[in-house]
Amino acid sequence: MNFFSSLGIALKALLAHKTRTFLSSLGILIGIASVIIMVAIGKGSQQEVMDVIAGMGENLITVNAGEMKRRGGRLRLTGNVTTLTVRDANRIMDEIGEVENVAPFEEKRMVAKFGNNSAETTIAGSTSDFSVIRGYRLQSGDFFSERDAKTANRVAIIGMTTVKNIFGEEDPMGQVIKVHFMPFKIIGVFEPKGVDTNGLDQDDLLLIPLSTYMRRIVNQKFISRIFVKASSRQNIAKASEKIRELLRENHKLTDDRNDDFTLISQLDMEDLKKETTELFTKLIVGVAGISLLVGGIGILAVMLISVKERTREIGIRRAVGATRRDIVHQFLYESLIIGFIGGGLGIVLGVGLTLGLTHWGDWTLILDPNSIWTASWACAGIGGLFGVFPAIKASKLDPMEALTIE
Amino acid sequence: MNLIEMNSICKSYRNIGFETRVLEDVTLHIEEGDYVGIVGPSGAGKSTLMAIMGCLAQPTSGEYILDGEPIGKLNDRKLSRVRNEKIGFVFQAFHLLPGVTALENVILPLVYARGSQGNVKERARELLAKVGLEHRLHHTPGQLSGGEQQRVTIARSLINNPRIILADEPTGNLDSKNGIETMKTFDNLVKEGKTIVLITHDQEVARHAGRIISILDGQIASDREVSHEEQTRSV
Repeated sequence: MNFFSSLGIALKALLAHKTRTFLSSLGILIGIASVIIMVAIGKGSQQEVMDVIAGMGENLITVNAGEMKRRGGRLRLTGNVTTLTVRDANRIMDEIGEVENVAPFEEKRMVAKFGNNSAETTIAGSTSDFSVIRGYRLQSGDFFSERDAKTANRVAIIGMTTVKNIFGEEDPMGQVIKVHFMPFKIIGVFEPKGVDTNGLDQDDLLLIPLSTYMRRIVNQKFISRIFVKASSRQNIAKASEKIRELLRENHKLTDDRNDDFTLISQLDMEDLKKETTELFTKLIVGVAGISLLVGGIGILAVMLISVKERTREIGIRRAVGATRRDIVHQFLYESLIIGFIGGGLGIVLGVGLTLGLTHWGDWTLILDPNSIWTASWACAGIGGLFGVFPAIKASKLDPMEALTIE
Repeated sequence: MNLIEMNSICKSYRNIGFETRVLEDVTLHIEEGDYVGIVGPSGAGKSTLMAIMGCLAQPTSGEYILDGEPIGKLNDRKLSRVRNEKIGFVFQAFHLLPGVTALENVILPLVYARGSQGNVKERARELLAKVGLEHRLHHTPGQLSGGEQQRVTIARSLINNPRIILADEPTGNLDSKNGIETMKTFDNLVKEGKTIVLITHDQEVARHAGRIISILDGQIASDREVSHEEQTRSV
């Protein structure tokens, strides 16, 4: 008997029991749909994280003073290292070709006051390149001028969160706020930027010239951080290596001593986050895989019942000339078709929900063509795998006994 | 020439240590064109004998040669082909596929036949017309009476143009009118040259045959020709 006759017989049998066919494919349907949606969620959240990392500054390399260690899931600076200076920043800018911009940086949580309002905010000192490197854009006003930096002027650019906390609805431009008993004039307002990878609010910020910060606020010579922008993504690794060499030389570190600074590039952060999101993806795919297995067992149960119920039919077919192989094919095709129906509807549901949630909901989901491809194979595999046993069982029935069964 | 040749056929079933012997040393020969009735009380082994004759079961020992071909050595595929090409079954319980039309039920053996079968629907239609069911082509077994179902079964048994028709209590589930109709159909088939083996416990029915073999406790008790007078008496 040829393939199409077997397929036809299987299709007819399934059509005769539409509800049962649908119910038995339901497990696969849900399994496949959840695999697709879960993978899309995983990919989406990974993309979100990558966007956040990219938003922290394109081709960013951060030089932190001291050793950074992971504590409680976040990177924290250990110890108090005083070796990183503005001179380091200048040398990085001047001597390394792969570097486009450099911004030395120092920050501290302090209280800022305006009239009767006061709020704690991050007072940061840096150069105007800071905004270029970290991707801060001005909503209104201007950056500091050369003269502001030279004369350590008391001017500030304010982030949106700080505006809300201190000014409320009032326009901050041109106003004077007090930090550390010193008046600062607001000359610019940053566009909102959202949270960084550590969940810290990047708009909770009052940026002042580094010279002002160093001389008037803290009176120190060292800085805690240097932001560097590499000229391209390909150059990040090379630039990092050169910065390391330069800083070791500048800090007169002998070979037996550890770095007294820590370099974290955009690539490092991406790797770090990828690890977590990949783990998450594996986890949810595993759970979805279990639901597929359950779906397969559903098919197995239905097929076994079907064989039992159709024992006489098997006997009739055998009597008129069906071989064991014909019977195996008939039942195997049935379970394969159930698998494909479940898989097909599952793909439709999964893709539909993914697109729907992206379109109408506030979700970032990314459809992975690989997951659809894998899902198709999975449903065929499950339909086949869990259909083999019932099909063989059906073919092993003794024709005479099958005919006389009540 | 012997179409069916059974030599010392034994059949036993093993059931948790117990061995039940159903057929013991059965030897019988049936020639082409014969009309043979096999009679005996229930449990005598008639149905097992038919199962072996119809290649639905293999004997435990002994030799079965069908149309010159020793059956004992055939694998499942070849055995299925023999059933498909040489044997037509008519069962007491009809054994039609439920939910499938009379036409498709008749075609069923051709689904498993080798090679191209030409216009199968036309042949099935002709056969159904022959048994008087041309107006019932698209009815499912549930919509047909017992007599009609049996006639569909007979049409199905003929579609592959087999050498032998094996009928197991074909009138068992029918009223006397339909029973007589069915037997007339068989009588006509014999006239067309078919070999018919009829299994029954009803002596009246058996008298249609030209030869009656009695089975008792798994063995042949008697094997005799039916006289013409006997046959006419039964009609």
